[in-house]
Amino acid sequence: MAHEQSRSDSRPAVRDLPQMPGGHPGRGRGGPVQKPKDFRGTMKRIWGYIGQERRWLAIVFALILIDSGLTLAAPYLIGVAVDAIGQNAEVDFRILEAALAGLIAAYAGDAVLTFMQGWLMAGVSQRIVRRMRGALYDKLHGLPLVYFDTRRHGEIMSRLSNDIDNVSTTVSQTTAQLMSGGIAIIGSLVMMLVLSPLLTLASLITVPLVYLLARTITKRTRVLFKDQQAQLGALNGQIEETISGIEAVKAFNREEKVIADFEEANLTLRDTGMKAQIWSGFLMPLLSVINNIGFAAVAIVGGTLAVKEIITVGVIASFITYSRQFVRPLNDLANIFNVLQSGIAGAERVFELLDEKEEPDDPADAVRLERPDGEVVFDDVSFGYVPEKTIVKDLSFQVDAGTSIALVGPTGAGKTTIVNLLTRFYDVTGGSIRIDGRDIREYTRDSLRSVFGIVLQDTYLFSGTIKENIKYGRADATDEEVRAAAQAANADSFIRLLPQKYDTVLTENGGNLSQGQRQLLAIARVILAQPSILILDEATSSIDTRTERHIQDALLHMMKGRTTFIIAHRLNTIRDADRIMVIEQGGIAESGSHEELMARGGVYSRMFHAQFKNLEGA
Amino acid sequence: MRNERKYVKKYGLPFSFAFLLVAMEALCDLLQPTLLSRMIDEGVSRLDLNTVLRFGAYMLLVTAAGAVAASGRNIVSSRVSQRFGAELRSDLFRHIQSQTLPQLDRFDRASLVTRLTNDVTQVQNFVNGMMRVFAKAPILCIGSLVMAIRLNPKLATVLAIVVPIVAVLIYFNLRIGFPLFLKVQAAMDRLNGVMREYLSGVRVVKAFNRFADESVKFERINEDYRVHSVRALRRMSVFNPAVLLTVNFGIVTVLWIGGLRVDNGQMQVGHIVAFVNYMTQILFSLMMISMVFNMLVRAKASYGRIGEVMASAAHVHRRTGAEDEMEGRGRIDFEDVTFSYDGEEGTPALKSIRLHCLPGQTVGIIGSTGSGKTTLVQLIPRFYEATSGTVKVDGVDVRRLDPKTLRDKAAIVPQRVMLFSGTIRDNIRWGNESATQEQIERAARMAAAHDFIRSLPEGYDTKLGQGGVNLSGGQKQRLSIARALVREPEILILDDCTSAVDVATEAVIKEQLRTYARGLTCLLIAQRITSVMDADQIVVLDRGEIAGIGDHQTLLRECGVYQEIYRSQIGKEMQSHGA
Repeated sequence: MAHEQSRSDSRPAVRDLPQMPGGHPGRGRGGPVQKPKDFRGTMKRIWGYIGQERRWLAIVFALILIDSGLTLAAPYLIGVAVDAIGQNAEVDFRILEAALAGLIAAYAGDAVLTFMQGWLMAGVSQRIVRRMRGALYDKLHGLPLVYFDTRRHGEIMSRLSNDIDNVSTTVSQTTAQLMSGGIAIIGSLVMMLVLSPLLTLASLITVPLVYLLARTITKRTRVLFKDQQAQLGALNGQIEETISGIEAVKAFNREEKVIADFEEANLTLRDTGMKAQIWSGFLMPLLSVINNIGFAAVAIVGGTLAVKEIITVGVIASFITYSRQFVRPLNDLANIFNVLQSGIAGAERVFELLDEKEEPDDPADAVRLERPDGEVVFDDVSFGYVPEKTIVKDLSFQVDAGTSIALVGPTGAGKTTIVNLLTRFYDVTGGSIRIDGRDIREYTRDSLRSVFGIVLQDTYLFSGTIKENIKYGRADATDEEVRAAAQAANADSFIRLLPQKYDTVLTENGGNLSQGQRQLLAIARVILAQPSILILDEATSSIDTRTERHIQDALLHMMKGRTTFIIAHRLNTIRDADRIMVIEQGGIAESGSHEELMARGGVYSRMFHAQFKNLEGA
Repeated sequence: MRNERKYVKKYGLPFSFAFLLVAMEALCDLLQPTLLSRMIDEGVSRLDLNTVLRFGAYMLLVTAAGAVAASGRNIVSSRVSQRFGAELRSDLFRHIQSQTLPQLDRFDRASLVTRLTNDVTQVQNFVNGMMRVFAKAPILCIGSLVMAIRLNPKLATVLAIVVPIVAVLIYFNLRIGFPLFLKVQAAMDRLNGVMREYLSGVRVVKAFNRFADESVKFERINEDYRVHSVRALRRMSVFNPAVLLTVNFGIVTVLWIGGLRVDNGQMQVGHIVAFVNYMTQILFSLMMISMVFNMLVRAKASYGRIGEVMASAAHVHRRTGAEDEMEGRGRIDFEDVTFSYDGEEGTPALKSIRLHCLPGQTVGIIGSTGSGKTTLVQLIPRFYEATSGTVKVDGVDVRRLDPKTLRDKAAIVPQRVMLFSGTIRDNIRWGNESATQEQIERAARMAAAHDFIRSLPEGYDTKLGQGGVNLSGGQKQRLSIARALVREPEILILDDCTSAVDVATEAVIKEQLRTYARGLTCLLIAQRITSVMDADQIVVLDRGEIAGIGDHQTLLRECGVYQEIYRSQIGKEMQSHGA
């Protein structure tokens, strides 16, 4: 019984994992350097999220406008107060009091307005984040399984947490600054032009310099930030994977190696982070050099002009004050541009995920599949995860409504693939699958999937109570129904022994239950769901045979009148199936009832005898 | 956290250097206005072009010096903060790796991931921010304070009120912000948790068509995170304006008192103007300090969470010499072992287990779901420790042994397959880093995996997704067995890891083990009697107790539970075939 030269390979080989531990995390798929995408396009898309807040942003803008007025009024009022004190021999208390009262009002107003800005922006930025994160999560729904199968979970998670956080920090840090900076620049420019157009020209010399500097630096930081976010994602993926599999790490004494791999990714991230930070950190000091050159220029030009008596000393003094006021927001803007790069880097990774290809949409004329009779026909079905390698070849068979079919065969023969095709986790590459006479691609995907009840070999339970997990199959079930389902699955007895019974909270992936108990819960889940078509993929592999026998009754009861697909290695669990199909190398080797196949003396009977050879001899 | 001292020691010097550079930078900034005023006073006013140009040159010189200091500070602070962050993360990661499973069980796995990434980043950002602005602010603040007091001690009494109020405000900022940001980080944990769950359970979600419900769950947690963030940010947004207001009212007071004193002839207007200027400078520096404290609150919350993990003692195992007392190769003894996951008060998962496995023996373990089979074998590599009684390997209590030694000796193939992203070769080599291709293939052959690996287009270089999702259940189990075999262990523990492997393949694996791994002690948990019936001894577990030990024939005669299991598997066949 040489079952092992099987063609095997039942799922796509991951050719191109985004980040491998030993390689160059973050270098991504494209080439040696993460290429920043189109800046304007990304900004536009970010605006799509920010724009929804425009009403609030308009209010913030109005607040900033008023606040700018107040902050300009304060120095003026101080001047008035000082004049009231010092102008004449006597202190003019009337004016002083009035000025101080005005000052108190201005300061109080400034404080309140500043607070309101902060308060509003907190709401705005977090709403934007929430919306983006929600959009990303919704996107996950449409993605085909192969997307999840080829990526580290931590890497995807990093996009939903670290990258989005980056966007949010950027939005909350830059939006208000951008507005107040703009107002300040325009205001100062006007004042400067009024004072002296010539000096204005002198001080504007610095503007192209600032622009050039900001461009040079951001050109570098954009790439670095992008790398940094990608490397952070890779590190996150590595951390998540090793923390999830820490039992295996310990069992194999792999701590040292895991730490070494981590260290490599950690250091790569560190070095990129360092470079990004150093480059972006150069902006401010260099800006102040440019500013001071500007001051010097103004002072020298102004001095020369004053010496030639074209302008007065007083003009130079006030001009310098205003040009300082002009330069500060200009610096801020340059800095914002820099901070923006980090936000863009995050946003690009967010959008990258949003742009992933989804499962194809349902055709416009798709019908809903509801309460089908359950006649399933495979008509000349071919399939390969990669085009050049077909796993299922010209497979044709029919399962009558309400009957059960068992798929047996060596591991990797394509049994699970058949289930994947039926549920449209993957689509056939040739031929068609029909349920109730209609191609399954003509049904809406959601309605198609809801007719199946699947118990998988890798039972997945969610954190939550036992009750919630059983109700996963049917959310509106009553406690009574839950208990009945658990009883049928033979799970009630062990659940009752738990301190909180049905309200016991399962730790991650049901860690506080044994593997077999988890499978019992998964079976209860399907029993409760009462699906039209039942799929049991190694559903009882971790359950001991005595317990299995009890469940068998419940399963048999459920199979009555339901189309059922069973995949199992323990042959005694499938012998009650109406028909048994032996799958070898993606095709049907033989098919018939247990008795027929035993009588034929083919592959099946050999497998059967192999399994029971020893026992029969005993 | 005890580790603080270590970081201070290591980064203290460069940190101080950055501080020095910032001070220089501040000094240059302060020099500029003075130079400018002298240029105006001595040059422009006297219409002396040479002086104007001279001071212009000085200004450029000071500018250059400031730029050098600032650039130096930038490089130093970036290096220090990134190195510190990387080291903190690395220490935390190492610490987590050194923890025992019961210690790790105290934290949600998703939370550990958040702490390693997000929390470390928060602390790192704070350190960086501190080195950039914090040093400058106190220098400016103290400098201005000194100048203000020297200028007019009487007016400075206003500062004696303003500064403590600001201090109190900052204190409350910390007090109020800290718990709020702790909650934000905890919400982040939940967000990460629910995402992780979705990603691992994506097949089930799709199969049950439950995306809408998962989405509701996610939305709730997403919204929860938003609410906590907004609450924390809004609470924080009170403090900056409050500091602003306090200092500004101080300015108003100075003007008022100044007015009174000038009226009395005790003071001159010039002093008021200068004083107000100093106060404005103090205001700016205080705002900066307050901003740093805002960052500190977040960082402190994150640092606390990191400290929580670091607080539990690392398990450092030193060789005690007990290894030398070990005799034989692969003997295992359970002496009256009782175990409970919840300590002594908990319900025991294992009760008074007495069991002896001799070197080279194959021991089958069988029993119903939840009877304690997995728990039993997990005590051998010391994943968990016996609550009472002792587990001995080669005659020595495992608690006296370095787990490394133990785990090198005993390879376990867990029930839940854990494969990692990487090639098939990487995954097998996981068991033994130094394994040659030959050894890898030998292990794969023994696990009946070689043939299927060879038939893959890329053979041993086929890449696997996380958890080996692109293989079938049986293939994953066989890789997992190969990974254990490549270690060439003395004790092999197979925890029901052939459940998805067909019987013929299972027979091949067992035959291979018999031929090539003679002398290997093998513990075999299984559901199928055929898997264990040829073992040297079979242990029947029932509700944490041993219901019977013996070979197949003995148990069939004497053990009721075993008979039941036997009947459940063979009964029908016997009837229908009369074999």
